[in-house]
Amino acid sequence: MTQALAPTLALRGVSKHFGMTAALTDMTLSLYPGEVHAIVGENGAGKSTMIKIMTGIHQPSTGVLEIDAVSVTLNGSKAARLRGVAAIYQEPMVFPDLDVTENIFISATKGLVLNRPAMRRAARDLIARIGIGLDVDRIASGLTLAEQQAVEIARALSQDVRVLIMDEPTASLSAHEATELRRIARSLADANVSVVYISHRLEEVFQLADRVTVIRDGRHISTKLVGETDPQTMIAEMVGREVGNYFTKMPSTATAETLLSVQGLSVDGVFNDISFDLHRGEIVAMAGLIGARRTDVGLALFGMLKTSAGTVTYKGEPLRITSSRQAIDAGIAYVSEDRRKLGLAMDLPIRWNISLATLGQYLTRIGLISTAAEIATAWDYKTKLNIRTPNTEIPVGTLSGGNQQKVMLAKWLNMAPDLLIVDEPTRGIDVGAKAEVHALIRAFVAAGGAALVISSDLPEVLAMGDRILVMREGRQMAIIPHDQATQESIMALATGQKDAA
Amino acid sequence: MAWLTRISPAALRILALLAVLAIVILFFSSQIEGYLNGRLFNRISSSVAIMALIATGQTLVILTRNIDLSVGSVVGFSAFATGSLITNNPDLNPLILLLYSALIGTAFGVLNGALVAYARVPSIIVTLATMALFRSALVEYSNAKSITSDALPAWLTDFPNLPVFSIGALEFRAGFTASLVVVILVHLCLTRLRPARALFAVGSNPEAADMAGIDAKRVVFAAFALSGLMAGLAGFMFLARFGNITVVAGLGFELKSVASAVVGGVNIFGGSGSVIGAFLGAILVDLLETSLVRWAVVSEFWREAVLGALILLAVTTDTLLSRRLATLRARKSKETAK
Repeated sequence: MTQALAPTLALRGVSKHFGMTAALTDMTLSLYPGEVHAIVGENGAGKSTMIKIMTGIHQPSTGVLEIDAVSVTLNGSKAARLRGVAAIYQEPMVFPDLDVTENIFISATKGLVLNRPAMRRAARDLIARIGIGLDVDRIASGLTLAEQQAVEIARALSQDVRVLIMDEPTASLSAHEATELRRIARSLADANVSVVYISHRLEEVFQLADRVTVIRDGRHISTKLVGETDPQTMIAEMVGREVGNYFTKMPSTATAETLLSVQGLSVDGVFNDISFDLHRGEIVAMAGLIGARRTDVGLALFGMLKTSAGTVTYKGEPLRITSSRQAIDAGIAYVSEDRRKLGLAMDLPIRWNISLATLGQYLTRIGLISTAAEIATAWDYKTKLNIRTPNTEIPVGTLSGGNQQKVMLAKWLNMAPDLLIVDEPTRGIDVGAKAEVHALIRAFVAAGGAALVISSDLPEVLAMGDRILVMREGRQMAIIPHDQATQESIMALATGQKDAA
Repeated sequence: MAWLTRISPAALRILALLAVLAIVILFFSSQIEGYLNGRLFNRISSSVAIMALIATGQTLVILTRNIDLSVGSVVGFSAFATGSLITNNPDLNPLILLLYSALIGTAFGVLNGALVAYARVPSIIVTLATMALFRSALVEYSNAKSITSDALPAWLTDFPNLPVFSIGALEFRAGFTASLVVVILVHLCLTRLRPARALFAVGSNPEAADMAGIDAKRVVFAAFALSGLMAGLAGFMFLARFGNITVVAGLGFELKSVASAVVGGVNIFGGSGSVIGAFLGAILVDLLETSLVRWAVVSEFWREAVLGALILLAVTTDTLLSRRLATLRARKSKETAK
């Protein structure tokens, strides 16, 4: 990376307004061939708008976009791709009904009649260039997220990509898959591609990036060589304030009263012999890699998976539930990791989402929904959880990830549960919102509830868990008290480098 | 069950359809005396000749996550308009006549496509409305008169029944053969032409299609235009086969074409399916209809119900089986990944 070269792509004083709101103000960015350039910032800082301008989905209100030092106008993603700018996202954009080869060459335009054998050969070459093993005849609907991303990268490569934007690519990947993806990103940069890497995982930024740009509130804050900055500085720049206690463990509020006791719980072929107690006032964090089957344990406790062995004692009595309805009636809440699929009705107003699971509380005597009571609750949570929205009537889907997560928590907290199971509570949300969600869960247990927090984020596991249950491939590896746990010891158990105690 | 996961899902669908067809034929030949003969084939093939074209167009539209409910009215209008053109100009070149019916259909399709793709009105609303509008246009245009077969030139009414070739007792007539050729051509285009891939892409994941630089609007527009074209051609076939065209020509074809496509394994949520499947679906639906007429066990009042139940059964089985198959596949790919 030599600064003497012209940047492959540059933003010069770019601003973007949507109506009255300014999403980007006077943004500057230069991408050089062969560098991995990380962009960090809180959600809502303007990262997505920036990507959309670079990929031609939005046009700048003022300022210019330069490619090879020439000012260009990109009308739509097709124009961007023709210039060699492509993007891949956390949720890969593949076509589930088409196979790998068809997916890779979907944007190709040359030739009218498809030459299937030639396409398959080319697809195999591209997959090999990325350095992974993947059958090019497989239908995309059966691919893992990591494989789908590989398909997208191959698609970009097939179009001679010069700038590849990776937006939160590792957010949903296991540790191993994430390492693999970073290797791919690095090898692309070595092949002279400019890689833009957007991530909330700061340790990843420091492992991979050459330079890092911090943006906040739609403005450029800093661009530094990675060696010239450190995580604390970066976080401070991102939030514009010192974030004190995100990584700090608060004192446990655990009481002596056992709320939940799980003994030898198993689901055939999924997980085996899970045993732990959960006290009122306590948070147990479940750590493990993707595929450790932590979510399935949560679903089993919530009545969504049929157990094949073991007993669950809840509030001193055996718990027998076979549906989520019964679990909810028993005071068990499950906050899903998948906000979009299982958590929220994205098109419905915030207010409707919050009262969705507890609508019975809002009926008037003749059985109509009392809108006034609903609004009161929604505003109450908006204030308590600091949900950033002008009002409670706008669709949840228009909020940022962190605020969506808060709405989801509000929905479940509103049923006043005793046991809260939260799956990946802060995935894909920014540091400030993370701290707020953590505080919410802590407040919930301090008030006498108990929480089981499933998380792949090790700092989060350490910050939340009074005790930490580590799982690996459906087996319980250990339960570690907080004061004996370190990132290294958890990782060693989760990866099987250290055996179950 | 290893072979089940190796064969492509599309090929498996076709095989399953053929199996169901065989079972239905076997069942009815055990129930009805003299069931299986050349006449049955003729009856079904001449009716499928029309429905296959409509179902093919319908498939193109469904692939893009839309539906075209106006096809029945388009068939009726194009049959009538073509009939009245040839009645008034008996010496017209056959090719021009064919082109005329195709053009009329395309024009209606273009209107649907423009409203769905560019005005962004949901297709079910647009085509529900145009179904009524096109039908009323036909009533107005026809002035409540009918086309009669004696006013038509002999070449036209003879055309569907011209024997082309036969396999054993099965006589392939010109109408059915022409329609079969069209279906195969469209199938080849769908599987082998690059622009056709966009049709699947748009239905499979519209957001990703947009990101991949595919102009989804144009694709949806084209699908509707082609559906109109196919309905126009079907109108020509309808005229040739029946000769007598009234204002109710093609009534109910829209639902039958959707049924054919769906029974033929075309995913109603878009993205997957084949016109060969829809063609076999059309045959299956028609076979059931024709056979039930001759099956004394079912009274004519219950015939529709039995047909409906069978369609429901076919689609439910298909959905359940393909879900099971997807699980099998996922498990297998997980095993290979280990």
